[in-house]
Amino acid sequence: MMTASATRERLAQGVNQAARGRLGAAMSARPARAGGRVAMIVVIVLWSLFPVYWALNTSLTTLSAADSTPAHYLPSPLVGTSYRTIFGSGSDVSGQFTRSLLNSTIEAGGAMIITVVVAVFAAYAFARLRFRFKRTIFVSVLATLLLPAYATLIPLYRIMGTLGLVNTYIAVILVYVSGFLPLAIWILYNYFNSIPRELEEAAFVDGASPVRALLTVVIPVAVPGIAAAAIITFLMGWAQFLFPLVLTSDLSTQPVTVIVAALNQQRTVPFTLMMACGVTAAAIPGVIALILNRYVVQGLTAGSIK
Amino acid sequence: MNPTLGRRLLPYILISPLVVFIGALSFVPTVDTTVEAFFQVMPLNPPTRFTGFGNFRRLFANPVFVTSWVNTVVYAAIGVVLSVVIGIVIATSLKRGFRFRGVVLALVVLPWALPAVVEAVIWNWIYDPNFGVLNSALHSAHVIGGYHVWLGLNRWLTVTLIEIVQVWQITPLSALIILAALQAIPPTLYEAARVDGASSWQSFRRISLPMLRPAIAVAAVQALVLSLNIFDQAYILNGIAPLGSSVMLQTYVTTFQNLDFGGGYALSLMVTVATALLSMALLALLYRRTEAAA
Repeated sequence: MMTASATRERLAQGVNQAARGRLGAAMSARPARAGGRVAMIVVIVLWSLFPVYWALNTSLTTLSAADSTPAHYLPSPLVGTSYRTIFGSGSDVSGQFTRSLLNSTIEAGGAMIITVVVAVFAAYAFARLRFRFKRTIFVSVLATLLLPAYATLIPLYRIMGTLGLVNTYIAVILVYVSGFLPLAIWILYNYFNSIPRELEEAAFVDGASPVRALLTVVIPVAVPGIAAAAIITFLMGWAQFLFPLVLTSDLSTQPVTVIVAALNQQRTVPFTLMMACGVTAAAIPGVIALILNRYVVQGLTAGSIK
Repeated sequence: MNPTLGRRLLPYILISPLVVFIGALSFVPTVDTTVEAFFQVMPLNPPTRFTGFGNFRRLFANPVFVTSWVNTVVYAAIGVVLSVVIGIVIATSLKRGFRFRGVVLALVVLPWALPAVVEAVIWNWIYDPNFGVLNSALHSAHVIGGYHVWLGLNRWLTVTLIEIVQVWQITPLSALIILAALQAIPPTLYEAARVDGASSWQSFRRISLPMLRPAIAVAAVQALVLSLNIFDQAYILNGIAPLGSSVMLQTYVTTFQNLDFGGGYALSLMVTVATALLSMALLALLYRRTEAAA
């Protein structure tokens, strides 16, 4: 079975080749098949993008244009009213929505920072140091990856209730961290293993401790792996719904997913505004996933190949 | 401190935060679920007491419980099959390099990165009976004579359309897993096949598919775990109606609306055990086929 690092290289190679268009020329030898492939890729892009485009289209037009039949495939008239409602002051939706964006940022961001810090140290220990019960602990941690995420929902709710932490950022962040740690450990463990040991050994010869070697030699080299773990963790945190639905009870902590679901449930919010809320809630993870795509692909591939 | 002692303790210090997090917030809760599934736990009807299989009996007596289990099996079957098939199609289309391949790959991954709740709200608008683009497009193409109510009337149509929304989100993961494995197949195999006059379908059938089986198994198990636990999409597109209910939705309703925590624990335990057993069965099946093919 291939290793995660080999996979990373191959994916990177593919992207490089694509950038150079090297294989594009070879394709033209069989124009019919090349045409079929282009059509297939167009279909794939449409499938991936159309719903997002459709939300954007609706969010940028008026309610009467959105509610017309047959549907308008371009936003005409083009108006920004829905976004002004969200980001302007005064409306109910605007107050709830902007606050929930802040809550999502704190919860996903907090979970990302704690997960990555805890995972970097632990993954380094698993990858490089020798200690008793190492294998047992490592396997037990990774085994939780196969547990359905919601197996722990009710006990976690009751634990947070007992500790008086329901409806606090701390409860949400702690639950996210415990859920995201196994994947982050796995991504970082594989990345550390792909780094040659000679790098640290040089530092050890100079009298550095393992912690010092980790901080000054390994971490700088492992930045791409750490970035992948951080980005994946943030995206997963931003997307959470059932845990915060249970663990938060008012606007002081409810993330944007819970607010979007609540607005949608009211059935009084017009579709144009609903889509603007959706686009705004999806904008941050969407932009991250598009711009930092390399790390997302790397993290997901490393995280899934065992 | 003695430096050798410090060095001996170091690994334990480095992993201790991890052990505390996973121990307290994953292992303890999992054990708790397993134990409390056999207790009656109702905040409005204390005290908590042992009931044996009482929770399970109460659940089985509820027709919605059976409906949501059958639905969940259908959700999972559609989810595994569609996400793996579409994943293979995407992976084979993106295997070779072309201009803008990087951009296409980024767009393919996008649905994975967006919150399922937001995606479900968007699809809810696409499926809208009065102004949805699905009705509009099918009507313009003369596939349907009039506008349809897609969700909430026909059970299997509702389940299928909700699962398509989940498939849209989880397929990028399958595609990436399969793409990585596809790119690891030595090109010489394909060249040899071409020299022998194999068609591209034959080389896909005889080379790609057998070599992809382990990756397909991993992708299928990921899709299985995710679709057995479907909640967000069902909550938005179906609400808490029995028609399209899933086991996780039923767990939420039982626990947090009916305040029957014992019933919720029992449901959680069942879905956990089912997920583990079905995952292992699927892995065994797909790996055995690999050996048979080899």
